[in-house]
Amino acid sequence: MLLTLLQETGVQPSHAMAAIGAGLAVIGAGIGIGKIGGDANSAIARQPESTGDIRGSSLIFAALIEGVAFFGVVVGLLFAIK
Amino acid sequence: MLASTVSAAAGGEGQNPFEYLFGHVVAYQVGEFVSLPVWQFQVFQVAAIVAIFLAFAPVKRAVVQGGGGYFTKVLAGWVSWIRDEMVYPNLGETDGKKMMPFFLSLFFFIMFMNVFGLIPGGYTATASVYVAAGLACIILVMMIFGGMLIQGPLKFWASLIPSGVPGWLLPLIFPLEVIGLFIKPIALTVRLAANMTGGHLVLLSFMGLAFYFGSSYGTALGLAVTPVSLGLAIFIMIIEGFVALLQAYIFTLLSIIFVSQALHPDH
Repeated sequence: MLLTLLQETGVQPSHAMAAIGAGLAVIGAGIGIGKIGGDANSAIARQPESTGDIRGSSLIFAALIEGVAFFGVVVGLLFAIK
Repeated sequence: MLASTVSAAAGGEGQNPFEYLFGHVVAYQVGEFVSLPVWQFQVFQVAAIVAIFLAFAPVKRAVVQGGGGYFTKVLAGWVSWIRDEMVYPNLGETDGKKMMPFFLSLFFFIMFMNVFGLIPGGYTATASVYVAAGLACIILVMMIFGGMLIQGPLKFWASLIPSGVPGWLLPLIFPLEVIGLFIKPIALTVRLAANMTGGHLVLLSFMGLAFYFGSSYGTALGLAVTPVSLGLAIFIMIIEGFVALLQAYIFTLLSIIFVSQALHPDH
């Protein structure tokens, strides 16, 4: 189905695959950052006095996950512009 | 320039939007034979340095003697926040005091470059992989040579191996840890450059929506879509303003953590 769609619209298969890969990378990052955000919120609700520490460390972990997701997106981008 | 870029993004022929995003080279003729290639991001790097010097000129006097304007007080508070929340808790007082100027300049250099990219017509120097990789190379050199200087050359490479690893795993673990040492700056590079580029791409796509509808389905529909695409673009712009500060914070904090791990692996 996908291949016929590509042939009809004239999109190159490598571009389509790059877009799909970027989307898959974003799914993983979304799950990870969502879990971090939810857990950080519940931790702040339990211990409001350590809000600053929890916020700082959750930002770091979110950035680490985001970096891995950006690896996927950049590889997709490189395929798309090649 | 923006109009042609947006029309290119909207499916028009001609200029590739990536050429706009990834910078231009302007060759300046110096004398008869020497032509000096100046990348667009170099202009904005120099502008960021000049802006830092202009903004921080009154800060020291304001801290020592008191007084100063609103902006100066904000910068002075920011500096002490970086010292108390980022550098000292991770590096300790003695090492932190030595490396404070470097991390302070790193933070404000990245922040000013990010913010300059948000000004219309500006170019985000940190969106270039070269600039981000150059900054990360400094961190790599600080990790390797600082660690070898403080711990001793052999002890630094030995400290990469986690304690309690059985001997037969060493040929496997040691190369992995050395690769991990180099992955850290690469991750810093990709995180910074891709974050800034990604925000611009999203902005370009939302602005291009109106042009795409206008060129594909007639001017009337293009005009009807314009408020929506403009609203989305403004929303992304606000997020970009937050991301510009956040990425400077993340880059600086992660490099502080990496350097402190390399200098003092035991804690």
